[in-house]
Amino acid sequence: MNQERLYPENKNPEPSMWVDEAIWGHRLYDEQVPWFIYLEFLNVAAFYSKEGKLFEEPNGYNRLVYKAAHRLYLRNILFNFPLSKMQQISHMDLSDNQMWDKWFLEMDETQMGLIYPDFSYLRMHFDRFVDLVDVIKLVHSSCLELHSNKRWTSKFVFPYCVDALYEDLDRKTSSNDRRFFGRTGELVYLMLCRAKGKEKLRKLLNERVFSSKDTMWETVIRSLQPANSSDGSERKVGFLPYESHHCFDSLCQDWIEILELNIPLIDLAPHLVKLVGFHVLRFQQELARESLNDENKSYYVAEIIAPKKTLVRELSVEFYQKNNNLSMKAVVDHIEQIEKSEKWQQACDSSDPFQNCKELLLERVLWPRKQSDYEGAFNPEDLMASLKAAVRRRHSQHVGNIHRVYGREIGLISKRGTNRLRYAPTDAFIRTLVLTNVNTRMEFKEFLIKLFERYNIVIGDVEAQRMTCIKVQDLDNKAFQNNAERLEQRLSSIGLLRRLSDGCAYLLNPYAK
Amino acid sequence: MAKWINFLRKYGPIPRNDNMYDEAIQRTSRRSKIDPISFEHPFQEKVFACFDCSPLSNVILTGTAGDGKTHLCREVWVKLGGDIKEWESDDPYVCLENNGKYIHFIRDLSGWAPPMGHTWEDHPEKKKLILQFVESCFVMGSDNVFMIAGNDGQLVEALRRLSMESDSSKVIEFRNILDELLVEDKQYIENVFLELFNLSRGSSAEIFDKALDALIHHDGWSECLSECNGRDSCPVRTNYNLLKTDIVRIRIRKLFELCDHNGLHLPIRQVLLLLTNCVLGHPDAKDSLIRETDVLNIIDSGKVAEGCLYNNVFGGNLPYRRRSSITVFDYFERFQIGEETTNRIDNLLIFGEDDELLKPIYDGLFGSDPFFSNDLHFRNAKKNYIEAPDEDEESSNRFLEMLVRYRRGMFFMIPIEKEQEYKLWDLTVFRFAGEYTKDVHEFLASGNKHVHGKILGRLVRGLNRIFTGMMLESNDKLYLAESGSYSQTKVSRIFLDYVSVRPSKNEKVVIIMEDNKHVFLRVYFTSSDFEDLKLSLVRYEFLSRVAEDGALPASFSKECNEDILAFKSRLIAMWNNIRNCDDEETTEDNIEIRILSSESGKPKERSISIRK
Repeated sequence: MNQERLYPENKNPEPSMWVDEAIWGHRLYDEQVPWFIYLEFLNVAAFYSKEGKLFEEPNGYNRLVYKAAHRLYLRNILFNFPLSKMQQISHMDLSDNQMWDKWFLEMDETQMGLIYPDFSYLRMHFDRFVDLVDVIKLVHSSCLELHSNKRWTSKFVFPYCVDALYEDLDRKTSSNDRRFFGRTGELVYLMLCRAKGKEKLRKLLNERVFSSKDTMWETVIRSLQPANSSDGSERKVGFLPYESHHCFDSLCQDWIEILELNIPLIDLAPHLVKLVGFHVLRFQQELARESLNDENKSYYVAEIIAPKKTLVRELSVEFYQKNNNLSMKAVVDHIEQIEKSEKWQQACDSSDPFQNCKELLLERVLWPRKQSDYEGAFNPEDLMASLKAAVRRRHSQHVGNIHRVYGREIGLISKRGTNRLRYAPTDAFIRTLVLTNVNTRMEFKEFLIKLFERYNIVIGDVEAQRMTCIKVQDLDNKAFQNNAERLEQRLSSIGLLRRLSDGCAYLLNPYAK
Repeated sequence: MAKWINFLRKYGPIPRNDNMYDEAIQRTSRRSKIDPISFEHPFQEKVFACFDCSPLSNVILTGTAGDGKTHLCREVWVKLGGDIKEWESDDPYVCLENNGKYIHFIRDLSGWAPPMGHTWEDHPEKKKLILQFVESCFVMGSDNVFMIAGNDGQLVEALRRLSMESDSSKVIEFRNILDELLVEDKQYIENVFLELFNLSRGSSAEIFDKALDALIHHDGWSECLSECNGRDSCPVRTNYNLLKTDIVRIRIRKLFELCDHNGLHLPIRQVLLLLTNCVLGHPDAKDSLIRETDVLNIIDSGKVAEGCLYNNVFGGNLPYRRRSSITVFDYFERFQIGEETTNRIDNLLIFGEDDELLKPIYDGLFGSDPFFSNDLHFRNAKKNYIEAPDEDEESSNRFLEMLVRYRRGMFFMIPIEKEQEYKLWDLTVFRFAGEYTKDVHEFLASGNKHVHGKILGRLVRGLNRIFTGMMLESNDKLYLAESGSYSQTKVSRIFLDYVSVRPSKNEKVVIIMEDNKHVFLRVYFTSSDFEDLKLSLVRYEFLSRVAEDGALPASFSKECNEDILAFKSRLIAMWNNIRNCDDEETTEDNIEIRILSSESGKPKERSISIRK
């Protein structure tokens, strides 16, 4: 199952070494939560959709360049000027003209990043200043990260339409500092470029997401920015080291399922976001195993929260911990493979061991390139030790957190009811799985089997029995049966399941096409 | 006495209640020479009819354990002239010939189908038979007709495995048909020669009526009661007599009806278990069910009242773990009778006996009750509780337990004509249950068209509050509003439209009944476009409480809230469809946004216009 990895042609890329990147690409980034992955993805995809080249890599792998919008007028109005202050102005004893003038004046001073700011276009769209204030209040109610303490340049409008898309920027609005748009969205774009079934996804995204429907929200978003404002700068898309992978295919397939549902676009987004987070999490797991040549699977033994401790909870904690440590193992192993290689041995035995070993590392992991990368003694052992320490440190800072952070964000992993992290999916995550996997209706047990076969999610006793890494006799079937029963109850309480009798229940997809 | 009581106990919640299974009942009955408690199965007539007509149709009986599948199957076997000896064999498959047709009985699908780990391929003769069955469902007047009794889960599982092993398109088609019959609650589909009876769709209240009659008129009683002549305080006799009173029948039946309205089905086996427990339950007896030998001890200990029917109905005689594992008690528990109370009720129970004003009411309720009129234990405990409130926690807890029993007793003692005055339903968690059954269900079932405007208005107010996330008071218009991001967000400020509750331009909101069984709230946009919300008791209570109090007990809020929001999505989708049909392309230069707010309960909308 191990396939040839792609390596960057540029031997002096952005990252300080090529270890995590070699396994998972450039790059997985924990601070880019799934919503931000989705937004970054949309920025790339919107650009290529407009060019008519959605999901194509015409010049070969990993050579895409795109342009993302900045939309500083929209963002200054929404996020760089307090709404409360606008409301104050609207309550002052002033004429409408005076209100506008007062606000324009203050806005000119507050705004950032615009060279000749001119907000007067707003008056073409709004009759009165109070109308603008009310509309902003309305837009705010659906913004992402509005109340977080993120900088104003990292707050986002709900992606209603192409005109609502823009990239994350640093505080001075000068460039994308990769703080929250850390290329994971670009990576997802590349995955989908290489997925089976992308043609259908292309069609659906073009139809449902990237074509103008002239909705109320599109008008609102457009009215808050000047016409034909083109800004933004060119960006190279990240690096994905595989030509194909079943994880890419299943993400593509799942997105298709959601986009085909009969739900308004606005309601689709949260599902697409959860799925992208989940598939990136799975991608990390699967590639870690492949890199380790580990034939076992990453099982997600999911506890449907029980009032007290159960065997399922214990196993769930156990599997979570194992899976969570897997990526660290993979990077350490990646280095150890080099250390064990013949080439390394030859270099060690050569006349200039340090220099030769260093060159080998430069070739394999693009490290150490800078003087400050390695300042130790000139011998291979110290060099290797230093590399290992650097790899561990670097991995634990970001990529090593993906499993936990994404899992929690999408509602797969939680501490609820205990002090230990485990797979304990929320209702919202389960709902996404149902909408993705149930076409019109599906018998409950069949659904559990499907979750197992597609994602290795273990909920009921039948699936638990099928886990290859556990002795069947150690399993308490009853505990898993109860677990499945709890899921059934929850599904029924969120209106997705119909119980026919004590032995039979069907899942229903209320939005089936 | 012993014989009948021992026989009856086997229907009750004892660890080995043999009389749970038709086969076992027949055996015990023969051995003890006591007839089983029997009555005509509510589906019997319909099922018999399938074998009276031509061409014969295949029949599947499905349902929950204890619904009487095997029993009904046997009745058909006997009716068609099958040999009872052959039936008594252990073979889950039997066959008979009738008018030149082979009628195959698979009376226990789970016992017959290949067990877990086996495939159909491992049992070629069975595979052949099941394929024959599938085949015969598509052929009119087939020479082979099947009668299959089985749990629907097993049926679906058996066919799932069959469809995996067999590439026959018939099998796959049949599976879809079966799914459709099951999920959409149909009895048959055009051009398929199969009738499916889901016994779990029958009315539990109807079963209760039949079972109760069969039990109280059973011959076993006459002997039993004549033997224990003189022991008037025997709890079994007292409970039996209570069970025969109208008021007890009416109130227990009400609980069953309400379960039916909530979609909670109780099979025959559970109904019989409940009735047995009503009569024989006592916490001090072995397995909490009285044997003949227990009676004197219980009378002597003065704890007769602990085995009162009022408490036994809710499984109060059983330990918590046992009780919560039994479906009927689990369902009845949800009414919270005994736990739910008001100050008024507790004042009456605690001070009623000694308070001049309350005494007449107290005596009216409890004065002549066989269990409570002379309950010295309660009297003493009450005295202790009132006079030494903080001294002894244990005894006050004991008193509070007794109080639960008394509150339950009240549920059965308040006379019909005083239900309103004494607020009977305040004793349950469903405060509006009385209104729901009387002024909605029974009212519509008896042919009336329009429920009281007050009720409709209240439900609409509840809907408005959930739809908008604001504390609106409006009850003459139904407000449709969106939040703009995901529709599950709580406050919806973007006002779309309203629907007039009173008929206006084909718009209206009404409460209707279908099939003389289910009640719906129906919202008409035009004379032919409408959406329905099924009004189960839980939803009715939920909407009523949201409308009256604005809040509700957390226990059932989430599920209902989701349901109501899903209803809102359906309404908005339909509204969008109708609107899109009305005005073709709108290429106006303006859009209007209508923002909804609440001014002390009054909905207020403000329009903003944006030029494109």
